Amino acid sequence: MAREFQRGHKAKISDLTAGTDLYVGVSIAGPGLTFDISCFGLDANEQLSDDRYFVFYNQPKSPEESIQQLGAQAGDSESFRVTLDRIPAGIHRLSFTASVDGDGQMSQIGPGYIRIVAGGEEVVRYSFTGSEFSTERALMIGDFYLKDVWRFAAVGQGFDGGLAALLKNFGGEVAEEEAAPEQQVPAQATGAPGFAPPPQAAAPAPSFGAPAQAPAQAPAQAPAPAAAFAAPPQPAAHQPAAPQQQPVHSAPTMVGPLTTPPAAPYGQPPHPPQQPGPPSYGQVPGRQPGYGGQVPPPAPAPAPYGQQPAYGQQPPYGQQPSYGQQPPYGQAPGQAPGQVPGQQPAAGAGLAAALQPYKEAPTGARWTPQNQQLMRVDLSMGGQAVLARQGSMVLYQGKVDFSYKGAGFAGRIVGNATGQEMQLMRCTGRGQVFLAETGAHLHAIELQGDGICVSAENVLAFDESLQHEVRRIEGHGIPGGALFTMQFQGSGTVIVKTHGVPVVLPVTPTTFADSNAIVAWSSASQVIISSQVRLRRNAYPGHSGETVNLQFRGAPGNFIVVQPYEV
Amino acid sequence: MNAMNQQLAGYAPTPVTARMENHGRAMLKVAMQSGQDLFARTGSMVAYEGFVQYEPNPPAVRQMASQWLTGEGAPLMKCTGDGLLYLADYGADVVVINLNNDALSVNGTNLLAFDAHLQWGVERVKGMAKFAGQGLFNVQISGTGWVAITSRGTPIVVDCGRGEDETYVDPDALVAWSPNLKVKGKRSFKASSMIGRGSGEAYQMAFSGQGIVVVQPSEDSTDRLRARG
Repeated sequence: MAREFQRGHKAKISDLTAGTDLYVGVSIAGPGLTFDISCFGLDANEQLSDDRYFVFYNQPKSPEESIQQLGAQAGDSESFRVTLDRIPAGIHRLSFTASVDGDGQMSQIGPGYIRIVAGGEEVVRYSFTGSEFSTERALMIGDFYLKDVWRFAAVGQGFDGGLAALLKNFGGEVAEEEAAPEQQVPAQATGAPGFAPPPQAAAPAPSFGAPAQAPAQAPAQAPAPAAAFAAPPQPAAHQPAAPQQQPVHSAPTMVGPLTTPPAAPYGQPPHPPQQPGPPSYGQVPGRQPGYGGQVPPPAPAPAPYGQQPAYGQQPPYGQQPSYGQQPPYGQAPGQAPGQVPGQQPAAGAGLAAALQPYKEAPTGARWTPQNQQLMRVDLSMGGQAVLARQGSMVLYQGKVDFSYKGAGFAGRIVGNATGQEMQLMRCTGRGQVFLAETGAHLHAIELQGDGICVSAENVLAFDESLQHEVRRIEGHGIPGGALFTMQFQGSGTVIVKTHGVPVVLPVTPTTFADSNAIVAWSSASQVIISSQVRLRRNAYPGHSGETVNLQFRGAPGNFIVVQPYEV
Repeated sequence: MNAMNQQLAGYAPTPVTARMENHGRAMLKVAMQSGQDLFARTGSMVAYEGFVQYEPNPPAVRQMASQWLTGEGAPLMKCTGDGLLYLADYGADVVVINLNNDALSVNGTNLLAFDAHLQWGVERVKGMAKFAGQGLFNVQISGTGWVAITSRGTPIVVDCGRGEDETYVDPDALVAWSPNLKVKGKRSFKASSMIGRGSGEAYQMAFSGQGIVVVQPSEDSTDRLRARG
């Protein structure tokens, strides 16, 4: 029984399958894009200390063959064989990544996944689509990592640079910075000492774009559960995934109708209310038969109201493909990506059909995002309490006790000092609690020993197992005199809420953020108040013009999260 | 077509394929025809095309929803005529439901429009005496036809009949539910002053039985269509 993972989900491999000889399939494709899918074998510091464990098209296996690249097969764009018990002790993490070869960005990809197959049976799958990404050119899809035992994590994290940047992130060396990404890796391959015996011996690698899959397939050991077949790297099934974040897309949609049958500009819906007899609505006897009944006379039908042409016959409208006919990703630009799931089913009859898109997402993890704005925590899993902001519970099922998180909690300090009390409730028991607050976007951040600082206003809930403390950042001009943040450390999940879609920025020597818009930052970075730096013009008349900005300093790898809303 | 039209072209209405459709996530498009009247929340009309007439205080509503009436008049208006009608509720998500001999109870605040031929009735939400002064009413709709409801944020539909435990909902987040569910108010003393919002009163609605509950990800139950002066 395959489990569906969402981004951030983790599990012990032993919970997924008893086997240690695993097949890992990655599917990623986009119109006109080519991908390099690689596996990085990293040490305990998540660095590529041994280049021989960078398994990619040019080096399809690790020295002791515990990680082997098998090529495209069984519907997967790339596949690997991972033998967990043969991985040397120095390797603590296998990171499966995909990077765009040539032009393109991750927002253009169609539905993709990473899956683990053991004993011929798929045991877990993590799916993603381009709508989760923007301009990234590389993607860290999923990790196997060693924490007492081997575990699997659905990562789904985009990465701005291409393969070269990924390599650099993992501590690999890229010999020629200025070269285009396509040339960087081969150059590095020749320069790095560990690459001395590449099995392909294709040191210069003149153009690896096209044959990326081919060399990998040649030495395929074929232990995979399915026979290799010559599927193109981009299966046709992914083709309808048109680039959705390109505003340009709207123009061709108008000019060249792709799917509308011209004969019946309206009344020929892709999902008409298909009840054979009377139309599904308009049962009033003796009335016009309703829209379904008007289908046959398409063009010359009497204008249904006034002298105006019928709805669908107005040329500018009629040429547009209707909602249902558009591929789900090619929606009109007026609609934000990944929304309005109700449209197609709405045409089908019945309450259940209309509400189907909003159904509760299946259980499987302690924290499950139900949609962008709703988070469900299953208290039965993990058995520990959750601390949530008061009033954030919208629904619960099961036997759940809510109690006041008693005095002594640092949140009181926050509250007293800012005048806006932050009160928490402690949820214990057995059951599911649905949390949401004023439609804010919710993000689950799972910590595994690392730390994060979250602006106190943006904390919605967190596992009680996390250590948390309140930090105060004082600065002139900050409303209330200081910015209160909660620092979380340990293992557990923090739910952070943002108004709108946030941006995650890496910390560089010149990273600034408005103190009102900052949501969170990795706790290893250092915060400096810099009032002098004016990034914003005067927001409104009477405003002093002095805005408080926070500057961040930290080692590479630190990040900050900023929301498009200044509270 | 000039450049501006090109850019706005993506927002033109799509051809009509059903009585009710979403236009974007927050706007409802209703294809009106004579003889197929519609009840819509008063004040929810944002645009219309064609010949549509509005009756702000229809006698039917005055009768059916007498307790729901306030000094401002009936919360529902009757729309008749031929054309395209666009309705919205201050940016709330619109969910279109094509009832097929189903029944649904909708929180009055979250009701946007429904076919006039459907059977409907207004009742005070059971067990919610606390809200008596605030006019928390629900509209029970049944039959075969179209209903549009609103939700502040993407709603979630939860199946109640999964376990023997009841499902508890924050009344401010409640959007709609199956009318056959048993509803009762629940004051959780243990959680006093903890859950819920405003008065600090911990109060939830407990649903039991077989059916669904629709909840919005927001405790904002302000009736914006009514609140405006």
